[in-house]
Amino acid sequence: MANILSTGTSALLAFQRALSTVSHNVANINTPGYSRQRVDFEARSPQFIGAGYVGRGTQIVDVRRVADDLANARLIDSGGELARLEQLSSLSGRVDALMSESTTGIAGLWSNFFDSVSALSSNASAPAERQNMLGQANALATRFQQLQGQFDRLSTEVDSGLAASAGEVNRLASEIAQLNGRIGSAQNAAPDMLDRRDQMIRDLVALTGGTAVQQDGGAMNVFSAGGQALVVGVQASQLTVVADPYRPERQQLALQTQGQTIRLDERVMGGRIGGLLEFRSQVLDQTQSELGRIALALGTTFNAGHGAGVDQYGDMGGAFFSVPAPAVSGHAANGGTAHLSASIGDITAVDGRNLVLQFQGGAWSATDARTGLAAAVTGTGAPGDPLRVAGIELALDGAAQDGDRFLLQPTAQAARGLAVAITDPGRIAAASPVQVQATLGNLGSARPGAVRVVDTADPALRVPSTIEFLDANQYLIDGDGPFPHAPGDAISANGWSFVLDGIPAAGDAFVMAATAPGSSNNGNATLLAGVDDRAALNGGSLSLNGAIAGLTTAVGSAARHASYAAEAQATLHEQAYSARESISGVNLDEEAANMLRLQQAYQAAAQIISTADTLFQSVLGAVRR
Amino acid sequence: MTRISTGMLYTQSISTLQSKQASLARIQNELSTGKKVLTAKDDPVGAGAAIGLDRSKAELVRFGENANAVGHRLGMQEGALTQAGDIMGRITELTVRANSASLSDEDRQAIATEVTSLRASLLDVANSPDGAGRYLFGGTQDGSPPFARVAGGVAYAGDQTRRQVEIAPQMFVSDTMPGSEVFLRVRTGDGRIDVAAGAANTGTGQVGSFGLTDSDQWNGGNYHISFEADGAYQVSNADGDVVASGVHATGEAITIAGARVVIGGAPADGDTFSLGPAGTRDVFATIDNLLGALTLAPTTDAQRAAQQNALQGAMRDIATAQDHIIDVRANGGAQLAALDNAASLRDAHTLTIESTLSGVRDLDYAEAISRFNLEKVALEAAQLSFVQMQRLSLFDLLR
Repeated sequence: MANILSTGTSALLAFQRALSTVSHNVANINTPGYSRQRVDFEARSPQFIGAGYVGRGTQIVDVRRVADDLANARLIDSGGELARLEQLSSLSGRVDALMSESTTGIAGLWSNFFDSVSALSSNASAPAERQNMLGQANALATRFQQLQGQFDRLSTEVDSGLAASAGEVNRLASEIAQLNGRIGSAQNAAPDMLDRRDQMIRDLVALTGGTAVQQDGGAMNVFSAGGQALVVGVQASQLTVVADPYRPERQQLALQTQGQTIRLDERVMGGRIGGLLEFRSQVLDQTQSELGRIALALGTTFNAGHGAGVDQYGDMGGAFFSVPAPAVSGHAANGGTAHLSASIGDITAVDGRNLVLQFQGGAWSATDARTGLAAAVTGTGAPGDPLRVAGIELALDGAAQDGDRFLLQPTAQAARGLAVAITDPGRIAAASPVQVQATLGNLGSARPGAVRVVDTADPALRVPSTIEFLDANQYLIDGDGPFPHAPGDAISANGWSFVLDGIPAAGDAFVMAATAPGSSNNGNATLLAGVDDRAALNGGSLSLNGAIAGLTTAVGSAARHASYAAEAQATLHEQAYSARESISGVNLDEEAANMLRLQQAYQAAAQIISTADTLFQSVLGAVRR
Repeated sequence: MTRISTGMLYTQSISTLQSKQASLARIQNELSTGKKVLTAKDDPVGAGAAIGLDRSKAELVRFGENANAVGHRLGMQEGALTQAGDIMGRITELTVRANSASLSDEDRQAIATEVTSLRASLLDVANSPDGAGRYLFGGTQDGSPPFARVAGGVAYAGDQTRRQVEIAPQMFVSDTMPGSEVFLRVRTGDGRIDVAAGAANTGTGQVGSFGLTDSDQWNGGNYHISFEADGAYQVSNADGDVVASGVHATGEAITIAGARVVIGGAPADGDTFSLGPAGTRDVFATIDNLLGALTLAPTTDAQRAAQQNALQGAMRDIATAQDHIIDVRANGGAQLAALDNAASLRDAHTLTIESTLSGVRDLDYAEAISRFNLEKVALEAAQLSFVQMQRLSLFDLLR
């Protein structure tokens, strides 16, 4: 009798516990990272009654979570990668939108500016066209600055994202380490605590990328994507942000360990942090450099062209754009007094890569700041012999110490500094500096063609000179010569050159003279209107228009690439998630069925107790008689 | 058999709904903008190409505006030169009339008065403004009137530079002709050679028709014909060497080095005529010469012959100048024709660029609308199945 009662009670207790597990499962259906729990029943040890064993009911041996380490690991892994790609994709998409949108991009104003130069070439002395060209130039320069400003804002966003993420990493890592301590061995760990730890690991890995590895004793060790240990047993690493040694305004990630701060290589991080860092170095820096390169190339080529013309005051053109010098910054730890000042040497050789210059063993060497590849350096830096690297010339001032390093950003900051240098529309040098006139008494049929300026720097360029033909085949320049002449030959001196159309007669003279003030000559404006098509980049193989189109394509394909990769990873992540869910997720129908099953079992067990009672009452009744 | 968790069912359904909604929003955006490439991300290479094409298109539009500006000025030049041609025509007419021997000195004086006013009109034409505050015939020094009357003639303040304006890619058209080339650099004589009677001639010899008979023989040198008694003459070259000689008969041509000249009347002993390549003289000086000849009041035969020679010379020079202005007009017409050519070239380019751009960027509405419908149907199906599915819970049945 007691046996029946105790068997029934054991069943009641067991089913009650199992029902409460069902209700726990149902209650946590919306808890992130929750794994369904299952109750393991076991028959209690039987009682030997001589003839055999009589069962003693049931007992619960374990309430355990249904989880698969492999599925969990996959989910952690894919979650980190997804966070990285989503971060990269969303930020790249913003740069793409910035460059593509006609209200923020560069292409529209670029085109307007060169159209205004072309308009000037059709009406070179019109004040309206001159004013319009200045206005368009200012709009273009402002757009360059605005874009640079937007990029700066993105850079600040990356910095604050890094700082916030580092704080979050520290919080999660220390909590995981604490949980590691409390969980101890996996055998008797509370399932809910394991779930909580797994969830935190997922959150941590979403920030840093990487993996979690179970260690003997049940602790979970977490490593970032590049293998940097974040949690080992009960030890958590501390991340922090420090200023870039070359650029104090920029933040870098560092590890704090035993009182020391060690800069982390950008490649050790995945997850959201990895996405931020990758965006900064692969998309933002590249776009800024290329935009700056276009700004520099525009400034230097246009200025060179402008300097070869004459303005309304009859003076040679000055700089149209003010072009910033390439930025060079010393490493914070430099010991020497050296100071480098950079200038553009050859714009066609400037490729926009950031370079690290190092003074070692009495010589300068340069390496690509991103890839570490060496770049050729010539010159000594002494006056008259500047250091030359990738189209940039660097003048050295002071003395460098062995090991001193400098970061050269040839173009990264250039878009910010581009501005229009003139405010007076009359200062636009639209005219050719010299004009040739045929003497009115000439009897030959020769007419001078357009004058080309081949050397703006020639000191005698604007000195008047006379070309006098002795006969159709010989001429004197200012009495010098005679020089032979054949139809189609260029007549050149003093930095100018022109071709005669027709046959000169003996005694014909042509007078070369400086263009007078107020001229409506459009010779130089016509040349300037074509600057955008001039191959001024990549050693003379890429035009400025081509560079603008190339920049758009580069930004677009970076964004497209990141977005495709993120989409693909989202699918993988969904698979990993459903794999985990199919093992650990709560299914309400299943729980309902379990509930019914347990409810019925519970009712049956209650019935057994009632039956035991009936039996007992029958015995009592028999005794009472 | 795969287990499905309830949470997963909801997550999956919601993510399906969201992705369908995202596609719908995307297509809706495409439909409302008419573009399939919204940012460079959608087609990086196409977007880069589109930037280049947009630039080329904008440039073509700009070239069109340049062409309009030049076309406007060339049109004004055409008008001014037509007027100049009319003036020259009238002067030629008056010169022909003045050549008639039956006219009295007073008649010539009246003609001179008209020619004087025509000269003033021609000067006004030469100083035509371009309607934008500059002057048509000033070359590139066109900020002030290029021609001005000064003592002894007309001074030119412009230059000889003729602007070239780009009106289609690598296609340039010349702007208006500088005044020097229209009014100043004008050949005399018949445009190639000129014959003049010596100022001190005492006979009645008149320069008749002349011209080149053999261009190959003509060497461009200056020749001197000097008459002796009884019509005998000698031709000497610039060095003074006698190259031909003969006896003159009225109306008979003298041929020198491929050139031929008829001298009418009877040249006296010691009379000279010179023959040489045509020089240049500005139109205004030519008219001044005519006026000078008209206002002579000849009393002797020799003076009459001198006036005849002067009038004949002026007539030839003015005819040559008139031809010259016609040539300049023709040149302007050629530029206007080039403008038309360039316009059709630009149109063709623009059409090509636009069709390429449209292929790169523009939306195929039919395709997009059918895509929109398909996504809409899919979204509705997903919504319906979600509603149906979420009703299926065993707990619902436990009552």
